[in-house]
Amino acid sequence: MLRVHNVRKVFESARGSYVALDGVSLTISDGEFVCLLGPSGCGKSTLLNILAGFEPATAGNVVFGDAPVTGAGRERVMFFQDAGSALLPWLSTEENVRFALRVRKMPKADWPAIIDKYLEMVGLDAHRGKFPAELSGGMRQRLQIARGLAVEPDVLLMDEPFAALDALTRRRMHAVLLDIWQRIGKTVVFVTHDIAEAISLADRIAVMSVGPGSVITRLIEIDLPRPRDLTDPQVARLFTQIENLLAPDLIRSDERSDVH
Amino acid sequence: MTSAYRQQSGSLRDLGKRRMNIDKSGADVPTPMRRLRSWLSRPACRSVSLTAASLLIGFGVWQFLSSFVFNPFLIPPPLEVFRTAIPMLKSGEILSDASISMIRVMVGFATGSLAGVVIGVLLGRIRLLHDLLDPIIELLRYLSPTAMIPIAVIWFGIGEMSKYFLIFWGTFFIVLINTTAGVWRAPVARQRAAACLGANRLQIFVLVVVPSAVPYIVTGMRVAMASSFMSIIPAEILAANSGIGYLLQQSSMLLQTNRIFVALLTICVLGFIVDRIFRLVVDKVLARYMSFVSQT
Repeated sequence: MLRVHNVRKVFESARGSYVALDGVSLTISDGEFVCLLGPSGCGKSTLLNILAGFEPATAGNVVFGDAPVTGAGRERVMFFQDAGSALLPWLSTEENVRFALRVRKMPKADWPAIIDKYLEMVGLDAHRGKFPAELSGGMRQRLQIARGLAVEPDVLLMDEPFAALDALTRRRMHAVLLDIWQRIGKTVVFVTHDIAEAISLADRIAVMSVGPGSVITRLIEIDLPRPRDLTDPQVARLFTQIENLLAPDLIRSDERSDVH
Repeated sequence: MTSAYRQQSGSLRDLGKRRMNIDKSGADVPTPMRRLRSWLSRPACRSVSLTAASLLIGFGVWQFLSSFVFNPFLIPPPLEVFRTAIPMLKSGEILSDASISMIRVMVGFATGSLAGVVIGVLLGRIRLLHDLLDPIIELLRYLSPTAMIPIAVIWFGIGEMSKYFLIFWGTFFIVLINTTAGVWRAPVARQRAAACLGANRLQIFVLVVVPSAVPYIVTGMRVAMASSFMSIIPAEILAANSGIGYLLQQSSMLLQTNRIFVALLTICVLGFIVDRIFRLVVDKVLARYMSFVSQT
């Protein structure tokens, strides 16, 4: 269980302080797929960074299991949008996974089996010797997923991992991710600004308001079987509902970026 | 900086090759001209033959200018220069001066690079150290090796040590500044991702940050190598009794323009060879560190 309790985040800079998050609370159960959805500038990535332990909360806390989150930990692995910079470009596909096992201090005897398992899971076993620069964007993202899964985390934190991919690849990646999630049953916290993406993936969508002082404005349970067809009337209704919910905030988000 | 430049140039060459092939589609009787064309369309041969053509044109223009336009004493024609060079090569004079200069460059360059990388990495990683030393470095880097010659001679005499010091001085700051920049630009996502996987601070530093800085370090070293070649000559002109710079100085005093040109050509050739060797080593040893997927 991942508990976010009344988290507040204030960024201090020369121009003054900026309240990014103002009292965010959320409880995520084990094995749940939660999407944090909101327009850009709503602090969803900030929240994810706090969950990962990269940044401390100014007030409030995050507890995973029984222990408060104080730093990056291998039970919570982050997946970045820019897989190219997250991966080690001087290592091949296989070596990138091996790097994870090495720093994770897995017994060496287990390495080949683990590498095989996860490269196969993401469909990269035929590309073991290639370097990240030789892989497509979707393949790089799959490699990042395989590498993260190889250390067997409990929670996958995904920061708009498919936002930079083309629409077709993105849909394929959704299927890949859902398939993996259903097989391994880990908790997923997935940040996105794409309503359709959130609806196709999540058990629950946490809609966030635009900053300053972002909060979770609504939690939406989606109890529909996957794969979800966006033309299905129930799904379409949900889409419209969320769109209306976000509309006022989108205007505010635009105004904010005009100012900056 | 984006993906490897080599791929790009490769594909451009392919394009040229393809165009050549299209030109020649039709009859397939191999005439000499056609054979020459198809030979020229191979990337390696093309580059070699273009280089040769470029040199030939250069020497041709030079020969023409010094024979018909300028005073051949002031600009000796290439044939004259080669005629002068042959005995100097045979007697081992050039080789000995060139190797003395090269050893000076290599010693100064190697120690300067080593120190530049080590201190650059530390400055890139330890904020306090950087903030303390940066103002000093920013001031000292404007002292070119040439500016340091007079004091170097007083400190170290006109022997080898002063040359090592001057080349070291020139190399150190360039490599240092590039290394620090490279360490800084190691993508945050890459470091954080490694931390999630379980890497400790030392592992992140050694296995992630330093390798990420390699392209910057190599760039710095290449620039520093060129700068070393430029600094060794004035150092030897002003304070030495051996080396290519000394050869230049002596020939100038005796008004031997032929010999000056031989020395100048030697510098060109040495610089070219060393840069090629440097690139070859980088390609063989560091190639995998030189490609970026992205640097955001």
